Amino acid sequence: MRPQWFRLDNAALIFPAVMRRGWNNAFRLSATLSEPVDPALLRQAAEDLRARFPSFFVRLRWGFFWYYLEQTEAPVTVREEYAYPLTHMSRRELGESCLRFFCYGNRLAVEFFHSVTDGSGGMVFLKNLCARYLTLRFGISVPAEDGIVALSDPPQPEELEDSFLRHCGQRPLRSTLSAAVHLRGTVEPDGFRHLVCGTVETAALRAAAQGFGVSVTAFLAAVMAEAIIAMQRERTPLRAWRPVRITVPVDLRRLYGSATLRNFALTLDVGVDPRLGDYDLPALCRQISHQLKAEAVPQKLSGRIAENVNPQRNPILRAMPLFIKTPVMRMVYAARGEKGGCLNVSNLGETALPEVMRAYVRRFDFVVGVQLTYPNNCSVVSYGGATRINMIRSIRQSELERRFFSRLVELGVPVEIESNRR
Amino acid sequence: MYCWKCGVRLAEGETVCPLCQTRLPVPDGAVETKKTYSDLYPAEAHHAQYLALGLVTAVLAAAALSTLLLCLKLYGAAAWSGYVMLGCALAWIILILPRWFRRPSPTLFLAVDFIAAGGFLLYVCLKTGGHWFLSFAFPITGMLCILSLCASILLRKLRRGRLFVVAGLFLALGGCCMLAELFAHITFHTRMFLWSLYGAAFFGAIGALLLIAAIVPALRDYLERKFFI
Repeated sequence: MRPQWFRLDNAALIFPAVMRRGWNNAFRLSATLSEPVDPALLRQAAEDLRARFPSFFVRLRWGFFWYYLEQTEAPVTVREEYAYPLTHMSRRELGESCLRFFCYGNRLAVEFFHSVTDGSGGMVFLKNLCARYLTLRFGISVPAEDGIVALSDPPQPEELEDSFLRHCGQRPLRSTLSAAVHLRGTVEPDGFRHLVCGTVETAALRAAAQGFGVSVTAFLAAVMAEAIIAMQRERTPLRAWRPVRITVPVDLRRLYGSATLRNFALTLDVGVDPRLGDYDLPALCRQISHQLKAEAVPQKLSGRIAENVNPQRNPILRAMPLFIKTPVMRMVYAARGEKGGCLNVSNLGETALPEVMRAYVRRFDFVVGVQLTYPNNCSVVSYGGATRINMIRSIRQSELERRFFSRLVELGVPVEIESNRR
Repeated sequence: MYCWKCGVRLAEGETVCPLCQTRLPVPDGAVETKKTYSDLYPAEAHHAQYLALGLVTAVLAAAALSTLLLCLKLYGAAAWSGYVMLGCALAWIILILPRWFRRPSPTLFLAVDFIAAGGFLLYVCLKTGGHWFLSFAFPITGMLCILSLCASILLRKLRRGRLFVVAGLFLALGGCCMLAELFAHITFHTRMFLWSLYGAAFFGAIGALLLIAAIVPALRDYLERKFFI
């Protein structure tokens, strides 16, 4: 039987084109169980998901006009985790599989090349992987609820669709943002990624955010923006100051009622221009919350989708061979891709599991890899009353993390820190 | 255990605060816990790249050596194989040499490339008995070398005003066209202003446009908006 193949969804198109020799766009989701993970059982659990999640067990292929994903029958390999997450996925590796499975102690982890799915789609996959693993390990029966699907069912067409094309607006909405400040530091020469995970009580974090009258995402983005503004003030002369904006991914599934497991998120660059004057934290919270509320409405997001989808539909661009498209996409990405934001604050929100699984799953972690032009990223996920804030960086200096977590402590949110310090 | 500088609580097993690098005292009788993260490092995956570079180097070396042997066999001297050998060496220096390094310095390798190109031209000049190196090839190579080095250093070091640098580069290239024709006129007694004005006008126009765009932010924004790809 010929392997099934998938066109890349609209958001996924850019990732293969812009990857470099030492960098690409990937993220990692992990679950920590109540006992050590058995690699053989994890491999079996992953194999059992293959038929239900065909768009995940894929490899990246090169067509004449576009990249595409092709189903792979290569057996799953489970590796021991490395000292740092998201080690580089080479083109060769992506040509074999776009997923990686790891285990270390009680933790099982999956690393996704971003062309396959986004954080929410990845979380559905991870939850089902955990459910299958627990079924094999303890013989429990997990009901199909809270994102768990019945493995005996065939994959649903709406799970495989490119929802960007369906929800594309009539008129494109162009966003023209000036360049935001990008932090710099001493890059680790061997590609090591420092990971600092801050664990906070979800209730305390929510209470702190409510104290400012904003959502948790807006609150975290505002604290991060405050830290970056302070760093810019100390490091850069006034004439060279730039706007401080936080890139916040918005999951579009809930807004548009989509069930796709492919990419379906857009990013919003929210923040302030410190050249206009000082902003204290309440002002930052207000600004960022208002911007998020104003921008994250279906009408505007449809326009943003149209802006991204129109080039994909342009007959001239479609007819261009890939070897011409690729440098063009790289140029566009270099000019606009990461220009508007300082770093990502990607919040997956509260993760729910069926009652029967909760006793076995202690925590979830979400790590988004560093971007091409800025060295820090922050990703957040909540589960079981705890919120894990994972901050990854490719540079030695940990000043941003120090300012961010210390500020949370000052604001009455106790933080417990762990890291992969070498 | 809490870090007294940052106020955060450190997870079990952390003895140094990951945020401020403060070393915290380990309490007596503390048991060593399993590390949260592995100690395993990925293998360096540069073998394929180095293999490819080695292969290209071998092909270039084989081409150079075979032409030398052929010339020695046919003429008993290096004859024209010198051009091939130095051409291969030049190609190797420009295309392959920087790729052996993980973080090649563009400025350094630009200088090396121009020196190698100058050396090649000097060899051709000496071999053909021409007297054009000092009055033509050297000044042009030197001019382009200085321009490229300045642009490379400025573009890498400057945080702002890069458009000015690019505009300046184009204007200087226009000037270089005129100078190149002047050197050709001095060396080969060709007619002046045969082609250099076209080159100077072309580069000068682009440079002037870029300069205006650099000076007028509103125009820059307008162009960016209109010509965004």
